[in-house]
Amino acid sequence: MDRPPLTAFLRTALRLLTVQASWNYERMIGVGLGYASEPLLRALPGGREGERYRGAMRRAARYFNAHPYLTGLAAGALARAEHDGVPGERIERLRTALLGPLGAVGDRLVWAGTLPAASAVGLVLCASAPAGVGALALLALYNVPHVALRVWGLRAGWRSGTSLAQALAEPVLTAGLRWVGPAAALGVGIALPFVAYRLAADLDLPAIGAGAASALGTWIAGRWLAPTLEGVRLGLLATVAVLLGSWL
Amino acid sequence: MTAWQFGALLAWGVVAGLDLVSVLQVMVARPLVSGTVAGAIVGNPAAGVLVGMVLELYALEVIPVGGSRYPDFGPAAVAGTAAAAQAPLGEIGPGIAVGLLVAYLGDWSIVALRRWNTQRVRAAAVALDAGDLATISRVQLGGIVGDGVRAGVLTLGGLGLALAARRWPLLDTRGAHLLTAVLAGVGLATAATNGVRLAERGRGVWWFTVGLAGGIAWIVLR
Repeated sequence: MDRPPLTAFLRTALRLLTVQASWNYERMIGVGLGYASEPLLRALPGGREGERYRGAMRRAARYFNAHPYLTGLAAGALARAEHDGVPGERIERLRTALLGPLGAVGDRLVWAGTLPAASAVGLVLCASAPAGVGALALLALYNVPHVALRVWGLRAGWRSGTSLAQALAEPVLTAGLRWVGPAAALGVGIALPFVAYRLAADLDLPAIGAGAASALGTWIAGRWLAPTLEGVRLGLLATVAVLLGSWL
Repeated sequence: MTAWQFGALLAWGVVAGLDLVSVLQVMVARPLVSGTVAGAIVGNPAAGVLVGMVLELYALEVIPVGGSRYPDFGPAAVAGTAAAAQAPLGEIGPGIAVGLLVAYLGDWSIVALRRWNTQRVRAAAVALDAGDLATISRVQLGGIVGDGVRAGVLTLGGLGLALAARRWPLLDTRGAHLLTAVLAGVGLATAATNGVRLAERGRGVWWFTVGLAGGIAWIVLR
């Protein structure tokens, strides 16, 4: 097997940063995965004019969906399978098998864990430190694991090939899945009083009362009355209510 | 607002809008970040931080899973900060409202972009199935350009709204003060509801409660 040069891995890593750019309802991020994987396929026997490359490219841009940060795992594993000469049908099955796990793991680890945890720390620092510190903290706390996950994903995918399940059982990943949710919940819990205290500093007592009443109403609406009504819509409804109240 | 500031806000809105889905996803699209930078651009960092902070409470609710719909808070925080730039900190409510409206419109703009991408993919289906690299690259790079245009139009519309809100305010100072408090209250409750949702598996609620008690204790005792 001819291993692709380091520059091919770098190109794929860079292209993976835009993997969702052509997100669509038919192939989802399939085109993005094909675009990102292509540099790794150029070293297939026969080069870009060879049948192996063309066959791999025919499979590359079909339907695919996963968490964007873990798509590198798929790009690496599928390219490795092509280099190992795995039959096309097995590569298709591998591609299909990756859909669920890479989405579920990434969503829990990143969207429902790392992101709210980093955001909570950013909120606490915004409320208690000089301007800019909160934003910088959010970016740093989020992007260290984010970049690490992307780099690890591409490397682990290429290393594992068709045995990708082993990579997903990595102890760091399973520990992260266990702890990042509680960390996010703890962080959001800590952040709320800090933010409320900071915002109240610029408000008078009647306004604080109105804010508390709207918070209570939103809590009741969000938990029991209209759980599908998002905060943005509730905020817009509240704006309309304040406008009408002030005009009448 | 000077022309330089307007241009810089527009450019920053495009960067933040692209970061949401298409390029990098390093979270400069988070309102806490985009609002802070917008505040620095308009020369009122405190307003940017506060608008960003309140919108971040709303953004905590969003989990951008797969094909789900979600508001675009990056350009929203830019527009909201521009609207609040000249207001006292207790009267940034109209700016937050502008931000919420732009975020909501951003949700629709993302759906429109996805539909446009779907049409392009359908039109290129044969070449994509044949693995034609030029077509794959064109579809992918076209998506970036399309999202950049989407973010630009959204930011431009948001800045227009912001300028209109500054020129023709719909609320007096008392109303703006009240709106600030009400939108902060809605945001806090939205974030709390989301915190509980995040926590509802296993011992999560316990962690959320511990955090809440710890935060309150820290505020009271410091």
